[in-house]
Amino acid sequence: MAKSLLIISRQSPWSGPGAREALDIVLAGGAFDLPIGLLFLDDGVLQLAAGQNAKALQQKDLSANLQALPMFGVEELFYCAESAHARGLGQLSLDEAQPLATDQITALIDRYDQVITL
Amino acid sequence: MSTLHVLSHSPFGDDRLTSCLRLLGSADAVLLAGDAVYALQPDTVPFSALQARPVNLFVLVEDAQARAIEVPDWAEAIDYPAFVELSVRHAKVNSWL
Repeated sequence: MAKSLLIISRQSPWSGPGAREALDIVLAGGAFDLPIGLLFLDDGVLQLAAGQNAKALQQKDLSANLQALPMFGVEELFYCAESAHARGLGQLSLDEAQPLATDQITALIDRYDQVITL
Repeated sequence: MSTLHVLSHSPFGDDRLTSCLRLLGSADAVLLAGDAVYALQPDTVPFSALQARPVNLFVLVEDAQARAIEVPDWAEAIDYPAFVELSVRHAKVNSWL
């Protein structure tokens, strides 16, 4: 059994390539059937904001990559409820992502074999 | 199961340290390396945050010395071999990149 891996993504969607690269790692892991989870933390939750308009910046948005996660077998999708609340996020663009309280995140990190925060 | 959290960014103008302390498990440890050692600058918000709660806190001594940061007695200054030993003593290492 492969070791389970939790990626913690805390980059905002439009500040650079970080958010996309973290998603790419998760999608690649999913494609290889690795037990992989993804947690959006701090500014990372902004990736999940509904109604983003990539065309305004003449870029591609992350929504296609986000929607692809369950298709790639990545079903362990979480976000920090406190980070989302602090940033005034209401409706999110990824229905599969579950909100977690702080103590649940501590337990989540404990549950995975390996964790990396990007 | 315990995690060693490795921080290497300055805590000023960045919330890695804040989030890390928020999520820290009771058996976890924190290692400050690189610019993260600036968290031990006395009379600052990060310093108070670290001082205010019991944290298993380690500091890479050469990064502290290079930055003229004094390691307080409630943190443990370690060298690279001790860093390696600390890494293997924990079930996993979470690097806050």
